[in-house]
Amino acid sequence: MSLVPYILRRLLQLIPTFAFIVLVVFILVRLLPGDPASAILGDRALDADVNRINAELGLDQPLPVQFIAFVKAIATGNLGNSITLKLPVTDLIAQRMPVTLMLTVMAALIALVLALPLAFLAALQRDKLADNAIRGVFQVGLSMPVFYLGIILLTVFGAGLGWFPVGGYGEGFLDHVHHLILPALTLALSLAAILMRNLRAAIIGVVGAEYVDFARAKGLRPRLIMIRHVLRNALISTVTLFGLSIGTLLGGAVITETVFAIPGAGRLMIDSIYGRDYPVVQGMTLALAVCVSLTFLLTDIVQAYLDPRVAR
Amino acid sequence: MKIVSIAAIAAALLLGVSSSAMAVERGGTMTYARYADSLFLDPVLNDANVDIWVLSNIYDTLLLPTDDGQGVQPGLATEWKTSDDGLTVTLTLRDGIKFSDGSPITGEDVKWSLERAAKPDNGIWQFLVASIASVATEGNTVTITLAHPDPAFISALTVFNTAIMPKALFEATPGATDAEKAQAFGEHPVGSGPFMLASWERGATMKLVKNPYYWDKGEDGQPLPYLDGLNFEVIPDDATRILRLQSGEVDGAEFIPYARVEELKGAENLNMEMFPSTRVQYISLNVRPQIDGKDNPLSNPKVREALNYATNKEAIIQIVTHGVGTQMTSFMSTATPLHTGTDPLYPYDLDKAKALMAEAGFPDGFSTSLLVLAGNQDEVGIGTAVQQMWGAIGVKLELQQVDNATRTQQYRDGTMQMRVAAWTDDIADPNEITSYFAYSPTIDALHSGWKSEEADKLFEASQSEIDPTKRAEEYARIQEIFNTTGPIVPLYETPYPVALSKTAMGFNQIPLGNNIFRAAWLDK
Repeated sequence: MSLVPYILRRLLQLIPTFAFIVLVVFILVRLLPGDPASAILGDRALDADVNRINAELGLDQPLPVQFIAFVKAIATGNLGNSITLKLPVTDLIAQRMPVTLMLTVMAALIALVLALPLAFLAALQRDKLADNAIRGVFQVGLSMPVFYLGIILLTVFGAGLGWFPVGGYGEGFLDHVHHLILPALTLALSLAAILMRNLRAAIIGVVGAEYVDFARAKGLRPRLIMIRHVLRNALISTVTLFGLSIGTLLGGAVITETVFAIPGAGRLMIDSIYGRDYPVVQGMTLALAVCVSLTFLLTDIVQAYLDPRVAR
Repeated sequence: MKIVSIAAIAAALLLGVSSSAMAVERGGTMTYARYADSLFLDPVLNDANVDIWVLSNIYDTLLLPTDDGQGVQPGLATEWKTSDDGLTVTLTLRDGIKFSDGSPITGEDVKWSLERAAKPDNGIWQFLVASIASVATEGNTVTITLAHPDPAFISALTVFNTAIMPKALFEATPGATDAEKAQAFGEHPVGSGPFMLASWERGATMKLVKNPYYWDKGEDGQPLPYLDGLNFEVIPDDATRILRLQSGEVDGAEFIPYARVEELKGAENLNMEMFPSTRVQYISLNVRPQIDGKDNPLSNPKVREALNYATNKEAIIQIVTHGVGTQMTSFMSTATPLHTGTDPLYPYDLDKAKALMAEAGFPDGFSTSLLVLAGNQDEVGIGTAVQQMWGAIGVKLELQQVDNATRTQQYRDGTMQMRVAAWTDDIADPNEITSYFAYSPTIDALHSGWKSEEADKLFEASQSEIDPTKRAEEYARIQEIFNTTGPIVPLYETPYPVALSKTAMGFNQIPLGNNIFRAAWLDK
C-alpha cells in the first residue's frame, strides 16, 4: 500500500494550521502589556521617544492594517526586521534554528539510545533487580529540574573532569557536537525516562498477548518473535509519544540553552518576548511551528508504516 | 605621560603591588564573560547598557573619563578650553590620529559626528549634547559654539554618544535614512578605539582585535592596547558564567551574584573585584493624589517618610546584597560629582514611622502594591523584606511579579503604586540623574507625579551655571529637597562585582559602567 496520498493529504492540512498559528501569535504578542519602544528604551525614555519609535515601527496603525501588512510580507518571504537586534528575522532564524534543531536531534537520539535497550531489559526482567534499578534511576532523572541537572553535569564533567567545555557552542561541526553533548544529555534524560516507562509497559502488555503466545506455540524463534511481533506492536504508542515529545524538547531547549550558554532559538525567543520584539516572536513561532508540524507528520508516517490501519 | 602614569597607578591598585615590580606583557587574547550580548553598536542610536558599556573599546571620544569616572582626561583631543562666557569650547585634535581602517580622522569627521549626536530626535541621548549650536573646524582646532553655557558639556564629550565616527564611510553605507545606515554600519563598525570588531556571532561571541592605529602608548612606550584580541562571550546563567571562569575557559566574568562574592574572594586563582559604581537601588513611589480614581496614601509626604523610617536598610543590605551594598546618603550615588550628604538617609526608626503614620491619618495603615521583576532575586528579596518591615506599621503590601515591559508600561501610564528600580549614571555629572529623578518636566520625576517648583527652577539654573561654587550650592539644595520629600525609598548603593582570573590585569570598570580594556593585559 502506498503512503503517498496519505502524506499529501496531511501536508495540505498543515496550511490552515499555519494560517491559524500566524493569526494567534500576531494577536497574542500584541495582547502582552507594554510595547517594543518602551521595552527597548526602558525607564528613561521620554514619552516623545516612545511614540516616535512606535510610529517608526508602524505600531500606531490599527491592528487589521498591521496584520494585512504582515501577511503580505510573509507571502513574499519577508518576516520583517528584529526591533532590538536590527537584523532580518529570516537571518536570525537561519542562525538560531539549526543550533536548536541540532540540540533537539542529539537529545532525541540520546533518549532513544538510552530508552530502547533499557526498556527491553526492564520488561524482560520485570520486577527483578535490573528493572527496579533502571526505573529508580530514571525516576530521579525525571524529577530533577533541567537547570539543576545542567549545572551538576557542567560542574562534574565540564569544570571537574574537563571532558566537556563549560557551556558555549564552539566553532565547526565536531566542536558543536562536543559542546552539545552535555546539554543534549540534560534534555534527553527526562524524555528517556518517559519513553522507557511507556515502552516497558507496552512490551509487558504485548508479551502477554494471545498472538505472541500463538507465535511461540508455532515454534518461532524467540528473537523473531521479539522483533516482528513484540517490538513492532509495542513501538506504536512509543513512536507517537516520541513525536509529541519533540515539541516539549524544543520548549525545554529554552532553559537548557540559557544554562549552557548556547545561542539557540529558545534563548532568542525568550529575549524577544521580554523585549516585545514582535517580528522575531512571530517569525520564530512560525519556524518552530513548521518544525513541530513536520515532526508530527513524520511521526504519523512512521506510525502508518508500523500500523497500516492508521493511513486509511 | 599623564595617562601612562594613571594606567600604572590603576594597575598598581588592582594588583596591590608597586608598578615597578610588575612589567606589563603584550599579546594574547583576553576572554570576558558577559551576562548578555550587545544589541546595536551605534554610539548615537543605541539604548542599552549592554551596548554603552563596551562601545568605548571600539569608538573613541574627544575626551576620556578618568579611571575614577569623575574627571576628564585627553582622548582624541589633547587640549580643551571653555571661554569665559561659557559659550565656546575650543579643542585641539591630536596629531596623526586615524580610524581603525587607517584613514585619517579629520575635522570634518568630528563636526559631522558631534552634529549627528546633537540632532533633535536622533536617539535618546541627544539631551546630553543638546546645547550644541554649531561645530566649526580649522586644521587641528575644533570650535564648538553652545546655545547656552553648559557646565556639563566637557563631561559630555567623554560620553559614548559623542564618539567620533568616519563620516565618509558612514555615508557610503547602504540605507536610505540615518537609522538604516546606522543599522548596517553597526554590523561592521569602524571607529578609533583601542580595538576593532573582527566577528560577531549574535548571542554567543563578539571578537575584537587590536586596532593598529590606536593613538595611546603603554607603559613600555609602544602603542596600546597590550592585548592582540578581546573576546566577549555571552553566558546568561550566573552559575555557568562563574563555572566557566573557574575552569579557566574565560579570564573574567561580570555581574557576579552578591551571594557568591564572599566565596570567590577566597578562590585561589581569582581576583574578586568590587569596582566602585554609580548604581543606586531604590523603591519608586507613585505620589499622585489619586490612582485609578482612588485616593492615594502615598501622596502624603508623611506616609512616605513613615515608609522610609520603617525600612531597615542595613537588614536589606545584609539579606539581599550579602553585605556588599552601602546605605545611600543622597538619591545620587556617592560617586556622582556634586553628591552631598554623609549620613544614611532615614535611619531605621519604627516608633517614628508609627507616629508619622498616625499623624498622616493612617494609624492602622493601608493596602498597596509593589512591582518587582519576575525571577530577579534581588528585587524579589527586597520586596519580601519590605513587605515584612512595613507590616509593622500596618502597611499591607502585595508583591506583583511582572516582566520588564509590563512594569515599564504601568510605570509610564501612572497606574503602578510602587516599584523596585535601579539607576546608573552615564555621564560624570549630576545633571542626568537629577533630570530624571527631580526635574518634573523630563519624565514627571521618575513618572511619580512628584513636583517641586523650587527643584525645577534650581535645576534649570544649574544647567547653565558656569560658576562651580554656585552650581554645587544649587545641587546641594536640590538634593536636600528631594531627599526629604521625594517620591522614593532609597535602599542601597552597590559596586560592580567582577571576578577576574589572577592572570587578567589592568581591566577597569569605571563607575559609569564602561568596561575599559585598553590597558588590560595577560600575565602569561
